[in-house]
Amino acid sequence: MTPKIDSHGHVFTKVSREFPREVSELIPKDHEEPIEKLLIEMEHNQVDQAVLVQTGGADIRSHAYLLHCLKSHPKHFLGIGLIPQDASNITQHMDKLANNSAIVGFRLSTLGGPRDPFAQIDIREFKTFPIWKHAAEKDYVLWLYLRAIDAHLIPYLLEEFPQVRVVINHLGICPGREKFSVDQDGRPQVETPAYNPAFHTTHRLARYENVMIHLSGQYAFSKEDYPYQDLASWHRSLYEIYGTERLMWATDFPWIFNNPGYEKMSRIISELLPDLSEYEYDQIGGENARKFLRFPACHN
Amino acid sequence: MIRPTAERQKQWDDEGYLVFEKAIQGDDLKRLQDAFDHWSAICKEDWLNRIETGENSSTFYDIPDPFAKDEIFIDLVDHPSYYGTLMSFTNDQLILLGPQVRTVPPWPISYTSWHPDVPLSNPLHIKVQIYVHDVLPKSGEFAFVPASHKPSSGPYPKVRRPSSMPGYKAFPSKAGTAIVFNSYGWHTSMDNHTNIARKSIILIYEKSTSERISPDTFASIAQHCKTKQRRKLFSLEKYDT
Repeated sequence: MTPKIDSHGHVFTKVSREFPREVSELIPKDHEEPIEKLLIEMEHNQVDQAVLVQTGGADIRSHAYLLHCLKSHPKHFLGIGLIPQDASNITQHMDKLANNSAIVGFRLSTLGGPRDPFAQIDIREFKTFPIWKHAAEKDYVLWLYLRAIDAHLIPYLLEEFPQVRVVINHLGICPGREKFSVDQDGRPQVETPAYNPAFHTTHRLARYENVMIHLSGQYAFSKEDYPYQDLASWHRSLYEIYGTERLMWATDFPWIFNNPGYEKMSRIISELLPDLSEYEYDQIGGENARKFLRFPACHN
Repeated sequence: MIRPTAERQKQWDDEGYLVFEKAIQGDDLKRLQDAFDHWSAICKEDWLNRIETGENSSTFYDIPDPFAKDEIFIDLVDHPSYYGTLMSFTNDQLILLGPQVRTVPPWPISYTSWHPDVPLSNPLHIKVQIYVHDVLPKSGEFAFVPASHKPSSGPYPKVRRPSSMPGYKAFPSKAGTAIVFNSYGWHTSMDNHTNIARKSIILIYEKSTSERISPDTFASIAQHCKTKQRRKLFSLEKYDT
């Protein structure tokens, strides 16, 4: 039986001594979106497993709640950690989080290379080169939600590290500077042009077999309410470019909990790609994530 | 006006493209190169800022509003090397849709995939790609699938590398070369394996149809459009129907 896997979401608790974390406009001190809430939604919507992506700080201590959730529910979740920009020993940080835990990779928001696409490229000078190198050595997944200015740097790293599994988040969109805000439902919003630069950057990376792309984050980019039909053409294009076996569905819980709700997000692929076969829905809805991220078996 | 020979007309009909070597040469070419390089340098920082704000792609950029920047860009639109040919193909009803004065930086992947620009239901749509500097093999040169403009052609596979397209023809060439192609046909730019940017101008034309382009679109260059032909080309006047 094919598992249904929500391949990107977040959980966090109120700030506490046991579970310290950073606060922000998006996740104030007393706000919590605990694992139990996600588990209820998953059960109601026949979602078997999920990827939990760290939010609320990149230092080791801020990962305490994520590590707790992964340890408490080993068959349900895999985790993605963060790396501090100023970490003195990056590889030690990565290993400390991943060793003896279900953290399988790390999320990056920048690559640390030159801003100018005409600059001579030497990837060894990228600030994140040691991360990519260590990911290659330790088989960690890299989870990319990059700034717009980094998009052109990705293929240089993919050429050098074909063995690193890479997941490009949220439809391949790389948000522009100062385009983030928080909407009335407490969700991240990203101002994005309809003819998006991603069409000529992240959407061009399908030739690299180690790249998967998320069908997620629609609420943040769409100018419409659910089911975000203004993004249907983006989904169709990604489907045609990447093919069924390189796409992964995700809800981006908890930002979608109130609007449009987990149930609606659990069937968004059939709304935006209504002509897929059952096999294709299964691939995008879980099988691709299971294989690519190596989820443990969840069914007896 | 130089009309196409019967042989050139046949190639257009059969293959969907024509190459005009040395279409722009001598002082004209030097003037074009100087204007292109001057304005692309001036506009670069604004492009970088627009990449950063998520409004432009980092894999190519166009000099904005080129007709306002240098008259050479206007003069290219009805350049005698290919203007008569374009007029013939459109039954003397040629209009300009717009220019793209484009720089494509080196990148491991082509910035675009194989595609036609318009469906066959669209009025005849023609592009002219003019190389401003030499475009070497494997440096992002234009490529086209001969005969792919015909209704009976295809279907064409979704390939991940431009060189995997069956039957394609790539067009590395010298500065000043103009490649005229039927935009119903499948085309792309090849991967650029060099460290040299591709610099070219893409002029987009169509066979005139009613109300296709507003007279306001090119009103700002009206002072450069003294002849009736040019005024029609830039939709400042309508063609007789």
